[in-house]
Amino acid sequence: MNHDIIGRVVTAVAGIAIPAFMVSGWLGAADARYKENVAAKLATPSAVPVAAMAEDQYCTPQLKSIVRRVAGSCGLLGEAAGGRGCQPMQAQSVAQLSSEDFNALFLPLSKRAGLIQFDPENTELDEPAKALVEKAWADQRGASFFFVVSRASTDGDAKKNEEYSAARAQAVLSHLETKFKDPDLKKEVGLLWLGEGFAQLGTEFCGWSRSRSGLVDVPCTEKEINRSAFIAWIDCAI
Amino acid sequence: MSDPMSQFTSSSPSDDGSTDETSSLKPNHLARIPLAILLVVALMGASFAATSTSDFVQHLDREVHKIHCSFVPGASEAELESPCRTVMLSPYSSWFRQDYWGGLPVSLFAIAVFAFLAYRAAHLLWRGQPLKSDGFFLTAATLLPLGMSGIFYWLAVNKVGAICKTCQGIYWTSVACFVAAVLTWVMSSGSDGKGIQRFFIGVVEGVAFVGVLTLVYLGAVPQADASAGGAKGCGTLVQPNDENGIMFPIDSHPGGASTIELLDPLCPSCRAFDVRLKTTQLRDKLDIKAVLFPLDSTCNWMVSGSMHPGACAVSEAMLCAAGAVDGKGSPAEARKILDWAFAEQESLTAMAKADEKKLRAEIETKFPAVKGCLGGHNVQNKLNKSLRWAVSNALSLLTPQVFVNGTRMCDEDTDLGLEFTLARMLEKTGAAPAGGSK
Repeated sequence: MNHDIIGRVVTAVAGIAIPAFMVSGWLGAADARYKENVAAKLATPSAVPVAAMAEDQYCTPQLKSIVRRVAGSCGLLGEAAGGRGCQPMQAQSVAQLSSEDFNALFLPLSKRAGLIQFDPENTELDEPAKALVEKAWADQRGASFFFVVSRASTDGDAKKNEEYSAARAQAVLSHLETKFKDPDLKKEVGLLWLGEGFAQLGTEFCGWSRSRSGLVDVPCTEKEINRSAFIAWIDCAI
Repeated sequence: MSDPMSQFTSSSPSDDGSTDETSSLKPNHLARIPLAILLVVALMGASFAATSTSDFVQHLDREVHKIHCSFVPGASEAELESPCRTVMLSPYSSWFRQDYWGGLPVSLFAIAVFAFLAYRAAHLLWRGQPLKSDGFFLTAATLLPLGMSGIFYWLAVNKVGAICKTCQGIYWTSVACFVAAVLTWVMSSGSDGKGIQRFFIGVVEGVAFVGVLTLVYLGAVPQADASAGGAKGCGTLVQPNDENGIMFPIDSHPGGASTIELLDPLCPSCRAFDVRLKTTQLRDKLDIKAVLFPLDSTCNWMVSGSMHPGACAVSEAMLCAAGAVDGKGSPAEARKILDWAFAEQESLTAMAKADEKKLRAEIETKFPAVKGCLGGHNVQNKLNKSLRWAVSNALSLLTPQVFVNGTRMCDEDTDLGLEFTLARMLEKTGAAPAGGSK
């Protein structure tokens, strides 16, 4: 009798103690790792990148400064700003640069920018121009600021050319508003119209994406390229 | 086989008049053979269950670990992805998940049952020979693992869609235990008249085995640290509003807690989470909207390469189908595309990697309603707004991310600890969790 009971107790205790010790050991190890993980997590910030706006290499302090000035002091549309843009007389003070240096700032945008071309003494967007505006706008990616820099050729009256360049910038904006009805639009678009007096484009810009690049009977002269609005998303954290 | 009741009532007193079972037998030493087999098989079953429990328990540190998945316990290299993981993460692998992080693994009870069977077999072998009533008890006892194996095999096939090798080991050892127990019963002989008494003692011992192991588990299970994760979450949304109309319902339960899921339709983790969420009762307490965040550099400037090629195209299609662009469509249509993308994830990713235009054509063929919208400037603009929503909330570049009433559920709580964490997050925000919780 005793012999059987002892055997039963011994096997029973061994039967339950072995798995109990094993389970207890696994749980203890897991608990220790968990506590270590919690301590490490609280002590070390996450290494996972955080979602952010784009900041491309071409975002030089000078370019950002110009965009900020346009955004803040004379161009960014919005209710507070009254929907105005930078006027020619302000442009040079905004840029605080020579015409050549001003244009050079935008050279890294050759793959991102578009040149919307207009007929002489005209401020309406033709179909290729509308298509290019829409394409450029849709390719926003991580950019936070859409720059519209409009110009006029040196033909005719300077005052009139200033009005043309202003109307060209507005034409681009109006089309965006009509087409996209984007509530963020007014916070993102900056207009800068230069008339004929500042930062005229050279023919080297003819190689950029243009609304009339396919028209072989319209040669890309300096006058043609300046009856335009330069549009581009700026991949800089402004 | 003799009259089953006779083994409990008849007695064969020994010469000295005692009923000591060791001295009152008509021994059949052959019965020790199936008994020895039962011992070996029960130990094997315990070993399979221990492997499974060990793999389960190591995940209680809230990290991802490799899992052993083999017919020979401990013999295989641990794997990161296997049917064993699918089974482990399924709601059937553990009980009381709302009460304990991960719940109580079913395999823990399997250890207890197999250990108990091994103990009974070892004791009877040590004693010398089993009585008829011992054989009957063992047969009855092995019906428990046999029945549970049948139930869990059915669940694995019909509900989980995966059978792990370790589980199969448990199923087969359960069958083998039953067969060995029946043979022991058939081949055993003799009775001491204490069969009924011993049967109930055996039941009490069996319950004690399960109870002790359960108490040990509950006493040592890692307690959730209130300062990290859990209901507190891992951050909050600073701008949860949908000003640009980029969100759409993917699992609507009016009155449920407002839940936002940041997802990529071609992200395997998002698919796994979707499957996981469908298995929890608490899903009915969530009103889930999706924000698309494709980890594909075609549209997402925040990733340097395409982690999930084609995700931008599928995301555009979902926005088109949901009516987020032109008001034509419905969230149900977007959900259909999401389900399709989840189901065909590997092939769609491969197709896009080779030629994204082909994927776009495939989407238009499968879902003609998105024609004219997919690839358009408006939907691209809308998808961009979706990505910007993540920027404005400074979210990590990870998918999926789940926000319950603006609080982000920590990544480590989205699988085994889902029910435990979700129940507490819902409690915290005032929504009563399904089934209650401690």
